[in-house]
Amino acid sequence: MKLGIFVSDYKPTAQILERIEADKLGIILVLNGVYHAVLKEEGKESGLLARTPHVYALSEDLATRGLTADQVDKRVKVVNYDGLVDVMFNEFEQLAWV
Amino acid sequence: MGVLTIGCFPGLVGSAVYDFTLKLCDAAAAKGHKVNLWFSGNAAGSVKAHQKHLKDYSTGEKHLTALLEKGVEICTCEACSLARGVTKADAIPGVQWNAMHWYLAKIYSTDRLLHIGGE
Amino acid sequence: MADVKLAMVVQNPQYKGETPRLGITHAISYQTVEVLLEDGETITPTLCFVDKGVLGITKNQKAMEAYGITSTEGHLKNALLVDLDVLVCKEDLARYGIAEDQLVDAAEMGADKSIQVVPYSEIQKAISNAKHVLFF
Repeated sequence: MKLGIFVSDYKPTAQILERIEADKLGIILVLNGVYHAVLKEEGKESGLLARTPHVYALSEDLATRGLTADQVDKRVKVVNYDGLVDVMFNEFEQLAWV
Repeated sequence: MGVLTIGCFPGLVGSAVYDFTLKLCDAAAAKGHKVNLWFSGNAAGSVKAHQKHLKDYSTGEKHLTALLEKGVEICTCEACSLARGVTKADAIPGVQWNAMHWYLAKIYSTDRLLHIGGE
Repeated sequence: MADVKLAMVVQNPQYKGETPRLGITHAISYQTVEVLLEDGETITPTLCFVDKGVLGITKNQKAMEAYGITSTEGHLKNALLVDLDVLVCKEDLARYGIAEDQLVDAAEMGADKSIQVVPYSEIQKAISNAKHVLFF
């Protein structure tokens, strides 16, 4: 099962994210979820970034918040809406919004 | 190209989730995918016509009309819309009205489903 | 493809917003979707309650008396009456100290099905086996 999970909030993180399993798990950061790609709290980056190697952040939502590409953690792939559609169709079979 | 079905529950005014939904529909349609959009909950209030586009607010009518012109199928939950005082007579033309099974029927044959719950 | 399986997962309690309630009613609508499908095509949802979603499935809800709205209890009874599989996470019930005999049931209304309290692993199985997953 290839599951892409949309994360739209920074805090609190949905509990389901900690327990759900998939053959390929993706985290897609949108809206306020993009803060996971950028912020460090007390020097520590978001735990979501270690959850899976497949982490994406929406460029339009980064830009809306005044965040730039050089602030984004290197593990995160930045995509625009066009690229996001490709990720949804090509990388995952199931999609979820938590 | 494939079929993308999106269920949108968060409401219109002030909801960036609603804005996100419409932009995603637009991007998918622009790439040639078939897009179905279902409104339930507070999003069902967004199909009322004659909305004034103010920059501080999420806007539905202008974008919904553009999506309809691109072939996106948009359907609102009749019960949810009526509960919010929106009737077919004053709704955006082209938006379908049906019950929840419309959404399930689209889900049946969709390639990708993004169900956006929440407020 | 004759049957499409869905996992409909309620992860929040009801009565602040309506989305968790809509999870139940959307699942129930599998009963009428056939009017829009071809012969032999069916949808089989599994309705799952996890995390804080397990808070809203206990008996004796007075939503109608207090707010004039149909209670989640009422919707859940309907779900059982139309033979939906309703799975509730055992670990989350234990976390919140909810006993199984506090859960809604519809036996007195003639329902053949009851809420099934299962380990999270069974809910994960329902998610993995589904073609699509919907979180409420």
